[in-house]
Amino acid sequence: MYGPHVALDEMSLKINSGATGLLGPNGAGKSTLIKTLLGLIQLTSGDGKVLGYDIRTDGDKIRQLIGYMPEYDCLTLEMDAVHQVKYCGELIGMNTNVAMQRSHEVLEYVGLRDQRYREISTFSTGMMQATKLACAIIHDPDLLICDEPTNGLDSKARGFMLDTLFQIVKQGDRSILMSSHLMEDVERICDRIVMIHKGKLIAQGKIEDLKAIDREIEIWVWGGASKMEDALHKAGLTPRRTGRVMRVVRQDETTYDLVLELAAKTGVQIRRMEDYEPSLEDLFLVIMDRLGYGVKSSADLLKAQAQPRAVAPSPSRVGGEF
Amino acid sequence: MDDDIPGVNDLFDDILEGGAPDSAASESAVEEPQTPTDAEFMGEKGGVVTGRGRMEAAFGSGDGDETATAQVAQVASEATGGTLFLQQYRPWRGELNTRWVRNWAILRYHVYGLFSKGHKPWPMMTKLIIWSVLILSISDLAMLAIGAISGEEMIGRLSGISRGNLYGHVLSFWFRNACTYPIVTALIIGGMISEDRRNGTSALYFSRPINRRDYAAMKFLSVALILTVVVLVTLSVYYLGAILVGGEGWSYVVDTGLLFVGAFAAGVLLVFTYTSIGLALSSVSSGKFFPAVAFIGIILGTKLVAFLISSLFNSSAIYLLSPYDCLAHVGQWMLGLNHTYEHPASWSLVMLLVMNAVSLYVLTARVSSLEVTRE
Repeated sequence: MYGPHVALDEMSLKINSGATGLLGPNGAGKSTLIKTLLGLIQLTSGDGKVLGYDIRTDGDKIRQLIGYMPEYDCLTLEMDAVHQVKYCGELIGMNTNVAMQRSHEVLEYVGLRDQRYREISTFSTGMMQATKLACAIIHDPDLLICDEPTNGLDSKARGFMLDTLFQIVKQGDRSILMSSHLMEDVERICDRIVMIHKGKLIAQGKIEDLKAIDREIEIWVWGGASKMEDALHKAGLTPRRTGRVMRVVRQDETTYDLVLELAAKTGVQIRRMEDYEPSLEDLFLVIMDRLGYGVKSSADLLKAQAQPRAVAPSPSRVGGEF
Repeated sequence: MDDDIPGVNDLFDDILEGGAPDSAASESAVEEPQTPTDAEFMGEKGGVVTGRGRMEAAFGSGDGDETATAQVAQVASEATGGTLFLQQYRPWRGELNTRWVRNWAILRYHVYGLFSKGHKPWPMMTKLIIWSVLILSISDLAMLAIGAISGEEMIGRLSGISRGNLYGHVLSFWFRNACTYPIVTALIIGGMISEDRRNGTSALYFSRPINRRDYAAMKFLSVALILTVVVLVTLSVYYLGAILVGGEGWSYVVDTGLLFVGAFAAGVLLVFTYTSIGLALSSVSSGKFFPAVAFIGIILGTKLVAFLISSLFNSSAIYLLSPYDCLAHVGQWMLGLNHTYEHPASWSLVMLLVMNAVSLYVLTARVSSLEVTRE
């Protein structure tokens, strides 16, 4: 709780090793959850463990094993990068010489090998983010927590940051908890997500499992889209349509046959039919639309009745190809 | 019809019949990159890295430096200039030290920054003033040396060890407590906590195993240590120097030792009080200007106000509001000097304790509410 404000409520979650995305809109409670995991906020009720240590009593030990990359600026601008990172290592408890050697290593890793003696105030935003990442990984933490790591980065720097984080997971075999409001970033690195909204857990699990709740078939039709739509309605498939593109919820394997059959009956050409790959953003919307905030796992979501939603067509696909 | 369709073996006929393909011919098919004349060394995959490539890697990308990104470290990507290096995660499984080593790192960061690069980047003006005050603080020893060299007994007697001189080194209003010690303190405490709040550097501490008590304690010790060097180390140097220069012999320590201890204790009280008030001010603000000005205002302003009011009402009790006057009063009592205040010294001592308690309370309360992010 922050004074009278309940920041996190009835949250029960388990985060496995690997890369996990912490998703939610601004103000959802992502940063509060991270601070709680770091042992910086005292819980008013409940308990938890991070890397086997109690978040109520072992905050120091947890913070020694975790690398935290904050969202906002946290660097001393007048220092050069190598000494800044070295100081971060010393604050963890590394010897001075070891911290200096390691500082060189991690700065090279994050792409600042040749800029390491430059004053941080002369760095671009991407370079500052890279320095923050170097500060977080100097002691090779078991768990790296990144709070909006791509905040304020241009596409190049963003790509580099995401690649680097991905490497830490795959090559370094470390775990990452990455908070972001950008679903695309999370999707690129993480295989699991934790979704929170207004301080409540709304979904957690493997991205693939969660995406399965919104499995649809996308159909591109020619010559009678309205007739086809009517036919689909009559067959109980409740299509969502934008122009010649429509999506129907895939009930089972026979849905494809049914669609083809209806097309043949109505005399409509089907130019393309494929499984629609939903993005995390689609997933977030479907959770909000269908189930509100009370979802705890993908199993809960699968139990719920799917409802048709408005089509949000991809601008790169719709139109111009027929 | 079937004959027209080539079999699998037919596809490899030319290889099977002709043996190995002509290596020279196949090599010629792959075009070798042209090595420019200014090539300096080859990248990991044999690509050419030019001098320009290295310059761009080192200094960003020319004039548009502010837009430079960390692209030079992309995973073995072969840019036009060649492969620069492979991005390779290196694990580290060393031993981490205990709490006291971490605290020592904070202390060292702040104190070493005054004379060494790679630690807290104190502004050049701050460093110059601190060094100047340090030199000024041993001016009494310099006077003794001048007296000894010139043979003028008067100079030696005036600047030798006495209650007044020991008191003056620590607590004289003019010149030390009007112009040097408060200014040095103001410069040190200015951004000590407030800049961590403003720049978000508090996240560096609190996201690591540094608890807030240790953070506040190390900040306090850092300021106190610098002031100790300026006030107390110079007092000790003066005292020892006076014994050596004055040729009094070590037995003189027996005669004056307690005076020195009294002056030293008064100095400790001054260092502690200035540090706690200064850091309390630093903890309530988010810049370095306000705490510095407010500190000088409190030390000199309360003194001035107390002076004006006491001259109107003919009472010295108003001086209890002035930290400097409380320190001076207690110092006079410790050194056995005639009191220049009418109220009892115990009142000043109590007021000092109250001031320190309030300051430390503000400091700890504000530090415990410091956010992990920029505020």
